[in-house]
Amino acid sequence: MNDERYWNINQLNKWFAISSIIFMVSIIWMFIDDNDDDFKVYQRKFRQLEIENEEKKLIAELEAVKDERVGYEEKLTGAQTSFEAKQSQLLDAERLLVESQAKFYKANMNFLNQKSILDAEKFNYETAMLHLHEGDDPAEIEQTYQVVIDKVYTLRLIKEEKEAVMLAIEDQIKEIKFETKIAEDELNSVLKAANLVDRKLKLIDRRKMSLANKIGDIVRDLPILDFMAPYFKVEQVVLPNIKYNVNFASVPEVDRCKSCHLGIDNPDYKNAEQPFTTHPNLDLYLTSSSKHTYEDFGCTSCHAGRGRGTDFTSVTHTPSSPEQRAEWEEKYGWHEMHHWLKPMLPVNYTEASCFKCHQDEANITHADKLTMGLTLIEKNGCNGCHTIKPLESRRKAGPDLARINEKVDRKWVAKWIKDPKSFRHNTRMPSFFGQSNNSEPDDIKRNDTEIYTIAEYLFQDGEKMSRKNDRKYLGNAEKGQEIFDVVGCRGCHIIEPDPNNLPEDHNLTNLLKEHGPNLINLGSKTSAQWVYDWLKDPNEYWHDTRMPNLRLSDEEAKNLTAYLMSFTNPEFEEAESIQMSDEALDKIALGWLRKMYPEMEAKSRLGKMDLDNKIDYVADKSIRYYGCFGCHNIPGYEKDKPIGTELTFEGSKPINKLDFGYIHDLEKTNYAWFTQKLENPRIFDKGKASPPEDKLRMPNFNFSPEEIEALVTTILSFSEDEVGENLLASNYVRDDMVYEGRKLIKEYNCQGCHIIDGFGGQIAENYSSPEYAPPNLNTEGAKVQPDWLFNFFLEPSIIRPNLQVRMPTFKLTDEEWNAIIRSFQYYDNQPLAFESDFHVNTSTTKYRAGKKLEELGACNNCHFYGKEFPKQGAQTWAPNLALTKERLQPKWVIDWMEDPQSIMPGTKMPAPFLPDKELLNTPGAVSDWGEHVVKVGGDRETMLEGLRDYIYSIKGKTDITNEIQQYFEKNGYEFEFDEEDEDEDW
Amino acid sequence: MSYIKNLFDFLSAPTISFTLLTVAFPFIFPPSDWFDKKNKQWGIYKLWTNKGAFWIFMSITFFFVIGYFDPYFNLTMTKPDNIPIILMIYSMIFVVWLGMKQAYINDARLDRGEKPEEWNDPDDKVLVWPDLVYIELIALILFMVLLIVWSILIGAPLEEPANPASTPNPSKAPWYFLGLQEMLVYFDPWIAGIIFPIFIIVGMMAIPYMDINKKGAGYYSFKERRVGFFIFMYGWFVLWVFLIVVGTFFRGPNWNFFGPFEWWDPHKVVPLSNVNLSEYVWVKLLNKGLPTSILAREAVGFVTVIGYLFVMPLLLAKTKLKSLFEHYGPVRYSTLMLFGLTMFALPIKMYLRWLFNLKYIIAIPEWFFNI
Repeated sequence: MNDERYWNINQLNKWFAISSIIFMVSIIWMFIDDNDDDFKVYQRKFRQLEIENEEKKLIAELEAVKDERVGYEEKLTGAQTSFEAKQSQLLDAERLLVESQAKFYKANMNFLNQKSILDAEKFNYETAMLHLHEGDDPAEIEQTYQVVIDKVYTLRLIKEEKEAVMLAIEDQIKEIKFETKIAEDELNSVLKAANLVDRKLKLIDRRKMSLANKIGDIVRDLPILDFMAPYFKVEQVVLPNIKYNVNFASVPEVDRCKSCHLGIDNPDYKNAEQPFTTHPNLDLYLTSSSKHTYEDFGCTSCHAGRGRGTDFTSVTHTPSSPEQRAEWEEKYGWHEMHHWLKPMLPVNYTEASCFKCHQDEANITHADKLTMGLTLIEKNGCNGCHTIKPLESRRKAGPDLARINEKVDRKWVAKWIKDPKSFRHNTRMPSFFGQSNNSEPDDIKRNDTEIYTIAEYLFQDGEKMSRKNDRKYLGNAEKGQEIFDVVGCRGCHIIEPDPNNLPEDHNLTNLLKEHGPNLINLGSKTSAQWVYDWLKDPNEYWHDTRMPNLRLSDEEAKNLTAYLMSFTNPEFEEAESIQMSDEALDKIALGWLRKMYPEMEAKSRLGKMDLDNKIDYVADKSIRYYGCFGCHNIPGYEKDKPIGTELTFEGSKPINKLDFGYIHDLEKTNYAWFTQKLENPRIFDKGKASPPEDKLRMPNFNFSPEEIEALVTTILSFSEDEVGENLLASNYVRDDMVYEGRKLIKEYNCQGCHIIDGFGGQIAENYSSPEYAPPNLNTEGAKVQPDWLFNFFLEPSIIRPNLQVRMPTFKLTDEEWNAIIRSFQYYDNQPLAFESDFHVNTSTTKYRAGKKLEELGACNNCHFYGKEFPKQGAQTWAPNLALTKERLQPKWVIDWMEDPQSIMPGTKMPAPFLPDKELLNTPGAVSDWGEHVVKVGGDRETMLEGLRDYIYSIKGKTDITNEIQQYFEKNGYEFEFDEEDEDEDW
Repeated sequence: MSYIKNLFDFLSAPTISFTLLTVAFPFIFPPSDWFDKKNKQWGIYKLWTNKGAFWIFMSITFFFVIGYFDPYFNLTMTKPDNIPIILMIYSMIFVVWLGMKQAYINDARLDRGEKPEEWNDPDDKVLVWPDLVYIELIALILFMVLLIVWSILIGAPLEEPANPASTPNPSKAPWYFLGLQEMLVYFDPWIAGIIFPIFIIVGMMAIPYMDINKKGAGYYSFKERRVGFFIFMYGWFVLWVFLIVVGTFFRGPNWNFFGPFEWWDPHKVVPLSNVNLSEYVWVKLLNKGLPTSILAREAVGFVTVIGYLFVMPLLLAKTKLKSLFEHYGPVRYSTLMLFGLTMFALPIKMYLRWLFNLKYIIAIPEWFFNI
């Protein structure tokens, strides 16, 4: 054998066998490895959970019907027994049925056969009659035809007879079975819920399956065979309206998250472990009755990430803390997916996704962090340096500096620019100097010179602020404090000299208090004359200011001025003035000249400048360098563009476009970079050898950690994500003016005084009860007549007579007032701008009943009737009822009187007492209630309408502002208010 | 340890490693008697023994073990793309070692007058089935097992879906083109990307027609084919495989050189201001501006290239390589010269670049013609 062969054949065979076996083993291993997906592991676990959960439900369902079912089961057993008794009857009937069915079948067959013959005969007849030949007898032809007709008729009768017999027997059988069936049906309806659960269990619990089903359940998930109807499969939803941009195309997102997150929309799994835990707030997300259904929004539209992924790492789950990161690396072998453009948002930044659909809303409900971030951006004027297209600024964040020389002096401005917080500890003006990249002695000298020149520029028309007339404008500081506390200043301002006394929580409510500046240290800043003039008419000094006019009298203004000027900051006043150094001035000027001209020319130009020219030049360069015009209107720089990076798509910026510089210990994510930047904007200059003109210049706003997190959430929300038009929230609001109105409400801080949309009204903290604070504007859109509201805005009058706080006069344009009114109306579903006058018929029973109710109710105890004062003291005074016809909507008045507390919680207005039918049927009712009320017979609706009609007919002066003012000028506001009175039910 | 690592970093710079390899190569594969003498004197031939194999294997493994525990090299080494390159290093060196070992054994036998080991009686036949094909089948199955196990354990080097906004840095060609990508550092893309690959392919096709040495066919032998052996090994091992290794492990962001244990700093800036030959001649030497006429400007370059590729072989044919010319005939001779000189132009140009910062010998960007 081996002579011919080169190799030993037995050896070869052995090796062939071994290698084949190894090959088969490796193929099987490959199949297992391919089909053993991670998500299937989770699905198996969830199946167990589901079985447990369903079993619990089954037990609960059976418990619930435990007692009921007993009765039905007894009924069923009764029916079954009686059914058994009728067994022989049933058998007979069934036998008869079979026979009758056969008979019917035969009769029907015969009938149909003959009918087809008739059809043919009809044709013959008609043609024969039409083409009569010689020797044809029409009567005979007709006779033949008639015979067939008759035959068919006979057979039909027979068939119908047989049919009737058959149906009768069927009915008989049905009747026999009827009772049982009813009993069964009743029992089943009681057990319906339990049966559903049981059926579900049979589908998922192998122990409950029949053998055939069990085998099927195993086979369906085998490799290759699982293309047909697997149990364990990828769960996905395709979202055609949410696109993922791959640069040359936009592809619909496909979310496969549910492959592992199986319990996400099922409230039964709130306490299950991840990944099966239920999503929070199912009323708002995922369920088909919520606003964000799973089929329309999926998961990645809010959480970002790689929806098409099916294992833990490849879907780009992002850890929300370094500890969680370490945990995941160990537990799941997690690592970052570096190339994925949109990794999942860490849990604390999830609200960033709300913005792309809810861009137009001023305050986004359920997204407090995002709203906080947007509010901070608006208040701190980020838009002044960084363009953010969806948040285009309505105004600049800082005050107008055109006439600064009338308000303060040069020295003050220089010190302020150098360190604003040394004057006002919680100012919104950020710090440009003394930061981590400009605190060396050389830098300080340079900066002082820059500041000096900027101050020079602002005061190029000379200093015009003078305190020599201060005595003329100072009144009584104590009285001023009283005014400050009640007239409405506290809706927007605080006065808090001690930084430790500021509220710890930086939340939206506390931001309302700081809409305007903290009014400390005015005595060290400006003159009493300036403060007085400002209080009397803010728009004169600054045309665009948001500060409204409180319509203060001269005396009130002087008192307030005295109070405000009583706060001083001696430390700030005594601090050294900012000095300019000639050397530094030359250096700065030369540095800038070098950028435009070659060295020789730069030097010669510098030589030709005298001191004033240099100061002007450096001032201009410095203002442009620091971008002061981003927040302040500065004459000469009105048209200049923002100096910072555009942030419109900052959330989508690739990570390699963010300069981490030499800060190596920062996590390489965009949110880590943003957080660090907001904590210390200049930090990325560390270690760099940059000339002063190239240094980072974003100033430091000293945000707290919560503010930074809110701001980072907001920056992440500025993205390039594409969402279909039909998903945008603004699609559901048909009127753009509505959003405009809400933005104006935020811009002018209406919620500083009023509760609107359930938020705001923090000024009420300063009053003993909400009755004495500005009113809750709940249902305002449905409540007031829009034309009255418009006029009220233009010229506020007194509505609630005993309030010390005043509605200020705001200077808005007609368009802006309309937007505000529209937004109120929209949210209260009030669509009309103009309505016909409400006419009252004074001759009806209804009206007369209303009149009597008013009399009995003694409305004039508290309410003004035109110039007629209420009977009770000032603490219970209520609005002028003669105004109602001009001011309120008739339908709303009914709702108000029905239940005042539900519209304005805490109001002193009680619901009018209306007698019911029983009460009106007692003897003496006519004398107590009058004949008209009795005639109405206790119909609440009619009585309220009558009362409303009466109110609308009350005559009297509608605007009683003067009368009230005169009263309080004479008597003051010292009326007693007893806390217990609020609960008294009269 | 850091001393050893710094040493490796230093040695692996292309200037050093390539030079070391080029200089050592003729001593390892001696193409002439003088080199052979040195080889025997220094005992380099002992590399081709089993003990030599052991030392070679251990040194390569030593390097990779140090590399595995280095945080930076670990990242490069364990990248699924690069694991086959490591395998390639081992397998290529093994294959060369095996061939040389057999060659030396046969050379010793030939010296003694015996037939080489592979010699079999021409009348002896070997059956295709089962002796050839059965072996192949078993080898096939075992190789399939290797591939399947490899694909389960390590998996295909697929990264996550690409980010269209972010180009990888460095952007590396597949391994079989890394040699060419490295050549692109020194040559114009027309040359490195088109001329060289064509020459490599056509050159390899032409080898059987140029190589008329009948000895060494069907059995291993070094001394009977040492010139051809040396030329091919240099071209393949140094100018192809080694450049692939450089491209895989020693080239980082912006195609800068990084030692194996260096961190790939994407901000590293290395000055690379290179000068054309025409600029050397006209601006640096003669202190004049560049002539406007292209031919005048590149005259020196043309002379150099034509001299190197055409004039030099002609002169050599008449003098030093006269016997070769007569033996080979003019066609074979010129083909051999064309391919051979072009091949050696690569290391020559590399040294011109390293030593003189030379950019192009002939630079005519107006016609996209740069050598």
